[in-house]
Amino acid sequence: MKWNTIFLIVCTMLGIFLIGCWNARELNELGISLVMGLDEEGDDILLTAEVVDPSFTQKDGGSVGQGGPVKYVQGTGCNVFEAFRDVVLKFDRRLFVSHNKVVIIGEDLAKNGVAEHIDELFRDREQRETAHVLIAKGAKAYEVMGISSGLESIPANYISNLIKNIKENPKAMDMNMIENLKHFYHEGHQSIMGVIEKRGIGQIDKMVEETDIQDYELSIIGSAIFDEGSLVGYLNGNDTKALNFIMDRIEGGIITFPTPDSALGSKSEFSSKHRELSSVVIINSKTKNDVKIKDGNVVLSTKIRLRGSIGEVVGNIDISKEENLKQMEKACSKSIEEGIKTAITKVQKQFGLDVFGYGLVFHRKYPKKWMGIKENWDQVFSKADFEVEVKTDIIRTGLINTPVIRKKER
Amino acid sequence: MMISKKVDQNKLNISDIFHNTSDLIIHEFETNFGIRAIACYIEGLIDKNLMDRDVLKPLISGLNKPKNIKKIIFVSQVKEMDSMEDIATQLNYGKVALFFEGNNMGYTIELNQWEKRAVEEPNSGAVVRGPKEGFIEDIVTNKSLLRRKIRSSNLIFEDYTLGKQTNTQISLAYIKGIVNENVLKEVRKRLGGIDIDSILESGYIEELIEDSPLSLFTTVSNIEKPDVVAGKILEGRVAIFVDGTPHVLTVPRLIVEGFMTSEDYYLRPYFASFLRILRVISLILTIYLPGVFVALQLYHQEMIPTVLLISMAGAREGVPLPVVLETLLMIIVLSLIKESGLRLPKNFGSTVGIVGALILGESAVRAGIVSGVTIIIVSIVAISEFIIPEMVQSIALYRIIILLLGSFAGLYGITCGFMVITAQIVSIDSFGVPYLWPLAPMDWQGTKKDVFVRAPLWRNIFRPRAIERRNIKRQTPPWGK
Repeated sequence: MKWNTIFLIVCTMLGIFLIGCWNARELNELGISLVMGLDEEGDDILLTAEVVDPSFTQKDGGSVGQGGPVKYVQGTGCNVFEAFRDVVLKFDRRLFVSHNKVVIIGEDLAKNGVAEHIDELFRDREQRETAHVLIAKGAKAYEVMGISSGLESIPANYISNLIKNIKENPKAMDMNMIENLKHFYHEGHQSIMGVIEKRGIGQIDKMVEETDIQDYELSIIGSAIFDEGSLVGYLNGNDTKALNFIMDRIEGGIITFPTPDSALGSKSEFSSKHRELSSVVIINSKTKNDVKIKDGNVVLSTKIRLRGSIGEVVGNIDISKEENLKQMEKACSKSIEEGIKTAITKVQKQFGLDVFGYGLVFHRKYPKKWMGIKENWDQVFSKADFEVEVKTDIIRTGLINTPVIRKKER
Repeated sequence: MMISKKVDQNKLNISDIFHNTSDLIIHEFETNFGIRAIACYIEGLIDKNLMDRDVLKPLISGLNKPKNIKKIIFVSQVKEMDSMEDIATQLNYGKVALFFEGNNMGYTIELNQWEKRAVEEPNSGAVVRGPKEGFIEDIVTNKSLLRRKIRSSNLIFEDYTLGKQTNTQISLAYIKGIVNENVLKEVRKRLGGIDIDSILESGYIEELIEDSPLSLFTTVSNIEKPDVVAGKILEGRVAIFVDGTPHVLTVPRLIVEGFMTSEDYYLRPYFASFLRILRVISLILTIYLPGVFVALQLYHQEMIPTVLLISMAGAREGVPLPVVLETLLMIIVLSLIKESGLRLPKNFGSTVGIVGALILGESAVRAGIVSGVTIIIVSIVAISEFIIPEMVQSIALYRIIILLLGSFAGLYGITCGFMVITAQIVSIDSFGVPYLWPLAPMDWQGTKKDVFVRAPLWRNIFRPRAIERRNIKRQTPPWGK
């Protein structure tokens, strides 16, 4: 009994001591990288990493240099791993990429095909597949890095907070690494990625009569469309919102639509001066995609069930009345339907690529037919008819019932 | 040795037995009726006033025959003895021995009185609500304190004398009908097996009778307060009183007793349950926090939230020692402060606190010798330890083992250590009761009533059934009538 116990303890402890201190790293040996940028420089890969200088957290020690408490390091190499190892000879701390929040890919690299370069980002044990991927629109990745016009002192937090805000306004695309990998493997779903764009700050400065555009801000509006791993084009904000609707990635945001005519008839006196547009705040939304075959033609169908609350009403309409609320719901649904139709038509005409993932639905529903059709699914998709059906339920009207500009009934 | 009829012979004999020790007083006197006599006692163990007033005065004035002694003196306990050795033993317990010329019997009279501490609030186990009295060094007082809690003829004390040199009085206390007879038998057997020269504190007994003497965890509780001992023996346990110490032992001990305080039962159930859970959390924190902290810093940096990681890395900038040594150093410093504060006179205690808090804490961070985060971690560990004082002895080493494992092998090592130590705890029995009861073997009834939460008293119908299976009903609940 006693010897058994000792034997057991020795065996267990042996397991611990045999592995020793393998791979132990002190925190002050690490260069914690928060953003990684990939670019193409000639035939080489240029890797830029935003490394945080942690001494800024110590109030009395450490000095915050220009551009916040971060440093940028670059390395070149014929592939990504080589570029990583190039950094080692220039930068004193080993890059620690587990805390990467964002991977930014330069437009040039994206156009020439990103798929062959991101293998390392999945294979390396340290890399995290939850990092968000953004395409630097019209720029090199390193050109957008370092811009931080928000309040966060670390630019990485600025970018990742922008991405978090997508749930307030789904006009941008939030794709992380693992979702990208899925898209690469899926048949019948071309990949899409988020976009990041550098633009000058102009609008705010007008308020203080300083017209010089010397500072930049970042914007993540829109999304990037890929054909087998190569960037082919961009979608604008509204189309991206429709894309998010179809892919069932809506977590919030608002829908704006023309205010329906009041059942009472008489128009407000303000109405001629303003476009009467009202908004609904999305509380939750559920999308169901389907593919049907009608008379030999493929019909794509999308059904959306949305619950919302009224966020703003411009126009003379008494929304305390049930029938008026129904009108609002209808108008809201119609607005979404139109947005989606526009987006699908545009993608069909302009790109001819199934970025919505209808191919996956088709694959699941008609697995046998899919075998014959999968090679040219994108052509089938671009010729397919589609039907969109949105059902909106407005369950709250906000704090007030009647619009502020509504005329008093006498 | 028989008692001689000659007083002078007895005097010689008793001096011989005590090897002419200076504190043995032999008083010779003669009664009015001409009987020579001697009174022997040990200085400081008897009440001299009583002796003069109630023993010597009536004897001298009225004793005509030694046989009439019980008619003449006004003392409750007078015993006739015929063996010199027995009488000598009795002298050690504060009795007075009387020998008379022409009588081959000795008489012992109980007059013991010695200096003892007043019954006051003990240092450990101070409570806000509940009785504040604590045991003292005198076993008779201690027994009476317990008797005052349980005024029942079922409360039984069994006296033993252990220690070949010290002849220390030991007393078992239990409640007939509630106590587990097997445990009682086992306790008697183990006490009977003790053959040691001295017993200076109940810790001696604890070490000599516990089940797993090499384990980090003790299987015997020690308690300083009569209400707690009363609560324990009312659950079927056996208490062991040892003369000369305010610490009373109770067996069997369950590990969950480490989370319990007497106050749990005096406070409102919700708050008491909150405290219980707090203690469980603090046990986990105080054992595992340094190890996990080091393991995360060395091996699993990806598990630390980014913002925390950056500020931790910032705190570590310029710290010369590896994080293991740094944490170990601070734990050792903490133990130093604690021990020195404990042993020093009270006046110096506060000085040590200031030195510890200001000089070692603040200045060490400022000087860049340790990082601020380590100080915070070690402080949390210290505070957590203080709210489970009963377990301090077990966890102090356990913590360092886990710390070293964490530094060698990260969370993997901590998991291995956890498994080995948990397996060890699970394997322990305390006097036949599984140490981890009611958690393992699982007893849901026991667990939900009085482990992590303290159920209201009217819900707590049964005594812990692991300790005694018969007669476990505490009360008939209102709905059971």
